[in-house]
Amino acid sequence: MKGKIITRRDFLRVAAGTAVAATMAPGIQLEARAEPTAKVILIRNAEVLGPQDQVQEEVLRSMLDVAVKNLLGTNAPLEAWGKLFKGSDVVGIKSNEWQKLPTPKELEVAIKRRLLDAGVAEKNIGIDDRGVLNNPIFLNATALVNVRPLRTHHWSGVGTCLKNYIQFVPNRPDYHEEGCSPLGKIWTYPIVKGKTRLNILSAITPQFYGRGANFFDKRYVWPYKGLIVGTDPVAVDTVGAHLLQSKRIAFFGEDKSLDVPPIHITVADKKYHLGVSDLSRIQLTKLGWMEEVLI
Amino acid sequence: MRTGIFFVIIILIFTAARLGNGEEKVKMNQKISLPSENNGWKWDGKEMRYNSKTLFSYMDGAAELYLTYGFQNLTVRRLERSDQPSITCELYEMASSEDAYGVFSYEHQDETAEIGQGSEFGGGLLRFWKGKYFVSIYAEGEGAEVESGMLKMGRAVANSIPGVGPEPKLIGFIPGKDLGLVDKSVRYLKSHVLLNQRFFISHQNILNLNPKTGAVLAQYLQNKQKTQLLLIRYPDLNEAANAYQSFMDAYLPDARGKDRSKIEDRKWTSARQRNEYVVIVFGAPTEAAAEALLKATEEKLPGGH
Repeated sequence: MKGKIITRRDFLRVAAGTAVAATMAPGIQLEARAEPTAKVILIRNAEVLGPQDQVQEEVLRSMLDVAVKNLLGTNAPLEAWGKLFKGSDVVGIKSNEWQKLPTPKELEVAIKRRLLDAGVAEKNIGIDDRGVLNNPIFLNATALVNVRPLRTHHWSGVGTCLKNYIQFVPNRPDYHEEGCSPLGKIWTYPIVKGKTRLNILSAITPQFYGRGANFFDKRYVWPYKGLIVGTDPVAVDTVGAHLLQSKRIAFFGEDKSLDVPPIHITVADKKYHLGVSDLSRIQLTKLGWMEEVLI
Repeated sequence: MRTGIFFVIIILIFTAARLGNGEEKVKMNQKISLPSENNGWKWDGKEMRYNSKTLFSYMDGAAELYLTYGFQNLTVRRLERSDQPSITCELYEMASSEDAYGVFSYEHQDETAEIGQGSEFGGGLLRFWKGKYFVSIYAEGEGAEVESGMLKMGRAVANSIPGVGPEPKLIGFIPGKDLGLVDKSVRYLKSHVLLNQRFFISHQNILNLNPKTGAVLAQYLQNKQKTQLLLIRYPDLNEAANAYQSFMDAYLPDARGKDRSKIEDRKWTSARQRNEYVVIVFGAPTEAAAEALLKATEEKLPGGH
C-alpha cells in the first residue's frame, strides 16, 4: 500500500469490489485465478422470527446445524462440530452486545449447546464482547467462534466478522483510520491468530443502511431471516457486504453510499491474507427459504 | 475627601468586577437539565454523564465523531411510561455552536421538526442543535403517541437552552438553491476521516485537512444529476496552495496544467484555489456545469466580487 495513494477514482475505474484490489496489487486478478476459493453458507428460514419478531430458538438452532453440516460436508451436524472443536479446547464465543442490534441470545445459546455436544467442557466456554481482554477464557482460548449481527457501520462501512475483533485491542481508535483498513492486523495478533474456527453473521434482521455514529433506524432493518456461515472471515464478510449492498439497491433504487466503503475487507485479503474477498472465488451455497434472497 | 472618593471608586470597581465575573461564571457553568417528566414519561432516576475519556464506553466506535467536533460532555436520561416505549435523551455539550452545527449537519437527512436552530425527525430519531448543544432523542419503539412525546420533549429541552449561536461562516459561502443546493446535504467537516465518511476522496489526507481547517461538503442536484461541492478554508494562503497542489498531484495528475479533468465516471472534477480557500467540484455532468458551480462559489467568497 505504501507509495500508492488510493483515491475515489480507483473505485470508479473498476467495478465495485475489485477496484481496490487492482489498485493495491497490480496483476492480482490474473493471479487470483490460481488462488483457492472459499465456501460460504447462506441459510434462511421464514419461521425464525415469531410474533413480535421473537427469535425462535429451535428454528435457529436447526439453521445453524444445517449450515455447519453443509459447510464441513458431513452427514450430521455433530460430526461437523466435532471436526471443528476438540474436547480439550478452550473456546471463546466472541459475540456483539451493541444494544440496538446485538447478537441474538438464542444464537449464542445454540453455539454453546453444540460446543458442549462436541465435548468441550462448560467451564472452558466463554461468551463475551467488550470484556474479552479481561476474560480468562478468551485470554487462554485455543479456539474462537466469531458471531455478530450484519449491519452497516459508521467507521468501517459494514459491521461484520473482521470488525468484531476490535475488542481484542485496547487502542481501538487506532484502527479507525482509512476506513478501518488496519482491522485485519488484529487477526495477526497472538490472542486471536489462527484460533477462529467458525465465523457467523446473523442476518436475521440486518441493518442495510446507516448514517453516523451509534445510528440505528428501523426503516433500514429488514427481516431477512438468515445466517451467513463460513470458516473464512473475509469471504463471510464479502458475502455480507454484498447482501447489504443488494438490499440498498433494491430499497433506494441505487447503491446509496455508506459512510465509508468497506475497504477493510479487501485489505484483509490482499494485505493480511486472511481470506478471499473476490466474490467470483467464493462458492456461496444457498439453503432454505429463497424468497427475496437478493444474492 | 479625595481619599474617600478614591476608596469608593476602588470598591465600586472591585464590586463591579466581582459581579461581572459572577455573571460570567453563571453563564459558563449553567447546567442544562434534561426533563424529569414530560407528557406522561417519567425519568427513571438515573443520569449518565460522560466526558471525553469515558465517551467510548457509551458508544460503539462512535465517540471520535463527537471528539472531532470539540466534545465537552454528554448527559443521558431515560424516561419511561408504562403504556409506551421508553425515550432516551442525549444532551451533548460541544466547544462552540459551530461544533454543535457540525455534529448535526454531519448526519442530517430527514425533514425538519422546527426545534432549536436546526432539527430533523425521522425513523424514531429526533436530532437538533441550539447554541453549543447538540441533542438526540430516540424511542425504543414506534407509534404516534411516542413520536408526539419525543417532539414535546425535544421542545422542552430546546427551551431550557438559553440563547443561540452562529453557524460556521463557511456555510454562507456556498451557492444556494438557484444552483440546485440540496439543503439536507450540507455538511460542516473538521477532518479528512469525516470527509471520507461522507464522500470518499482518498484514504490519505491529500487535502491536508487538520484541526485548523474547516470544510463544507454539499450536494447539488440539477436535471437529476448529482454534483458535490467541497469548500475548504485553510489558516493561510501557503497552506491552501500546498493542499491544492497535493490534491492536483494525487487526484488529477492527468489535468496537465489545467484545473479540471473528465474522469473515469465520464464526469468532470474541477478544483481551484482562491486565497486561503480551495474549491473542488466532483461529478459535474459537463465542463460548463463544473465551471458554473466553481465560479458561483468564488463569487461568494470574501473579496469574490
